[in-house]
Amino acid sequence: MKISENAEDYLACIYDLSRKGVPVKTSEISGRLNLSPASVTEMTQRLASEGYLNYERYKGVTLTPAGTMVAERIKRRHRLLERFLVDVLGRTTEDSHEEAMRLEHNFSDESVEMLSRILNNPTVCPDGDPIPAPQAPMEDEAPTIPIIELEEGEEGVISHLICDDPAKIRRLIGMGFVPGRKVVVEEHVPMGGPLLIRLDEMRVAIGRDYASLIQVEK
Amino acid sequence: MRLVLVGNPNVGKSVLFTRITGIGVISSNYPGTTVEFEEGVVMYGGKRISVFDLPGTYSLAGSTEDERVATGLLFEKRPDCIIAVVDATRLEQNLVLVLQLIELGYKVIVALNFMDQARKRFSLDVDRLSNILGVPIVPTVATTGEGVDQLMQNVISGDVQRSAYVTRYDSHIEAFLEDMSEGQVATEKGFPIRGALIKLLEGNQLFVEQFPPAVQLAADGYREEFREEHGEDVEVHISRDRYGEAGRIASQVINKLERKLTLRDRISEATLRPSTGIPILLTVLVGIFLAVVLVGGALEELLLDGYALLVGDLFDRLAALIGGTAGQIIANGIDLSIQAILAIVVPYILVFYLILGVLEDSGYLPRVVMLLDGIMVRLGLHGRTIIPMIVGTGCNVPAILATRTLESRRQRIILATIVVMVVPCSAQTVIIVGTVGQYSGIMWAALIYIILFALILLLGRVLHKVLKAEPPSLAIEIPELSRPSVRNVIVKTWMRVKDFFVIAFPLLLAGSLFLEG
Repeated sequence: MKISENAEDYLACIYDLSRKGVPVKTSEISGRLNLSPASVTEMTQRLASEGYLNYERYKGVTLTPAGTMVAERIKRRHRLLERFLVDVLGRTTEDSHEEAMRLEHNFSDESVEMLSRILNNPTVCPDGDPIPAPQAPMEDEAPTIPIIELEEGEEGVISHLICDDPAKIRRLIGMGFVPGRKVVVEEHVPMGGPLLIRLDEMRVAIGRDYASLIQVEK
Repeated sequence: MRLVLVGNPNVGKSVLFTRITGIGVISSNYPGTTVEFEEGVVMYGGKRISVFDLPGTYSLAGSTEDERVATGLLFEKRPDCIIAVVDATRLEQNLVLVLQLIELGYKVIVALNFMDQARKRFSLDVDRLSNILGVPIVPTVATTGEGVDQLMQNVISGDVQRSAYVTRYDSHIEAFLEDMSEGQVATEKGFPIRGALIKLLEGNQLFVEQFPPAVQLAADGYREEFREEHGEDVEVHISRDRYGEAGRIASQVINKLERKLTLRDRISEATLRPSTGIPILLTVLVGIFLAVVLVGGALEELLLDGYALLVGDLFDRLAALIGGTAGQIIANGIDLSIQAILAIVVPYILVFYLILGVLEDSGYLPRVVMLLDGIMVRLGLHGRTIIPMIVGTGCNVPAILATRTLESRRQRIILATIVVMVVPCSAQTVIIVGTVGQYSGIMWAALIYIILFALILLLGRVLHKVLKAEPPSLAIEIPELSRPSVRNVIVKTWMRVKDFFVIAFPLLLAGSLFLEG
């Protein structure tokens, strides 16, 4: 889930504005972000189509759970960075806001949590706004696909086997199709033939029905 | 003492077995051929050693017919010592099985086979590997016999001990092992409790039965719990941990060298890629057909001429000696039987088995299976069935023998039926082409072939439907091509032709006597 800095700013802004509990109007956003209402409308529609916002005509927008997640994540970074700039480096509150705006997008989750630990896990920012709690590490939902969907020459890492038949599972893990191992699809043998798969130094040909049971991450 | 050879398929285990025991075994590269396990007795250093060769197996889970035979035998034979045959070029994959053997408390010696190939690809620190695993390790090259003596020295030395090496698993699994072992060290059958509990978790029936019902129940509960917490089966996780362990060990002892593609590697690749592999395959198939018919035919003439010269009027004299009609019958019967053997058995079958032996030992057959599986499955058959069908165009008898190479009984039945009833053997071909083609026109001969082909499809379909049970999907290892050992091919061909003599000659003799009478 990669999301642009611009979109992060929008979601963070809507997050701030929606604390009143009512839908946020386009004009409020354009006022706050200093943008034309037309471009705000365009962006909110896009974010709505991507599932981050609910858009209600004549009323405004609200964050979806996915949108809230992105916003809270960015707010947490922003406010922790502000704390760091003020408490540790001694910057003024105004300066810290500007700088945090720029840094917040390019800080890894790991670093954010380390920063929080160093600062003794503060709960409010220099302005007194609350710092959202850390999210459970973002569920690594790299979509998995059956190995049969890998193109020739593509590689992947086995994530799991979809199968309820213990005999088949044993056969597959016995031959080395074990989660965590790297696989390379070398051939899709034509005419409905098997897949030729490389597992390290070993090559195995497996029928397509077996191949549809093995899920991989690209 | 009892010695057992265990290893993955395609590690040269059977060739090593032939090296240890001398002749008395059929070895092959084709998955399935060693389902009938081999046994031999050898005197070494004044000790009598029974040697068992288990079918190649990837794990001790017992999920395929081969694996069930292997695990069952390992369990029954209670070997004094195990030689784990390992393909040094695929150390990581092979170590997984070794770790399981150690875990079950067997006294293991590792034969690091294909060492000649491995040396070209990387440097392997054998001593270090031996130290890590705590077992003796002997580099071997089974095809040349390198290292076999040293291996046997180790076997009879009696110095081989149980290794103390422990494979560590996920902390939850470790907690289970600790809880359930309750200070017990070994099961009643003498397996280390840790190894037996792991097999219990994996659901290996042979071990499940060694535990009291309460423990079995606890294991079932634990499996459920594990699946809920981890989102994967505990046996998958155990395998994952084992591969992790094997990978770590392999990376400690192997130093990869820059790999140069040799000519053999290139050929190996060409036979594998459909674009080049399918034309090569067709050439090979036509080549087998022609070789059996032409070379076999030439041999037949040569042998029969030689026989006529050699025998002269021997049988006439034999008939006179016995006297009367009975004398005629017996003499003629023996004469005709020998002629039949010389006309059918020796030439065609010998040629065919020599070719088959080379194809098996070179690792080519799995490629045939892979390339043709798609087509065969559409015909309601299986990739593996192509081989006996090709054999059948030579002679049906070895074709039926070749159905032995199939994994399941069901496929053997389907295929044997098709081969016997429909596939035209070389004698039938002679009649179809020579007689029908000659007198009625080549179109009629072609029509016969078309009908036969349609019958194969039909029969395949019908049997496929009648004999329910899911056809096992294909999952076979495709080994690198290797140079077959001449010795092994000859030994193997001899064993097979000998079988044929023993079975076919008495039948032919009885048949001839009956017909004569």
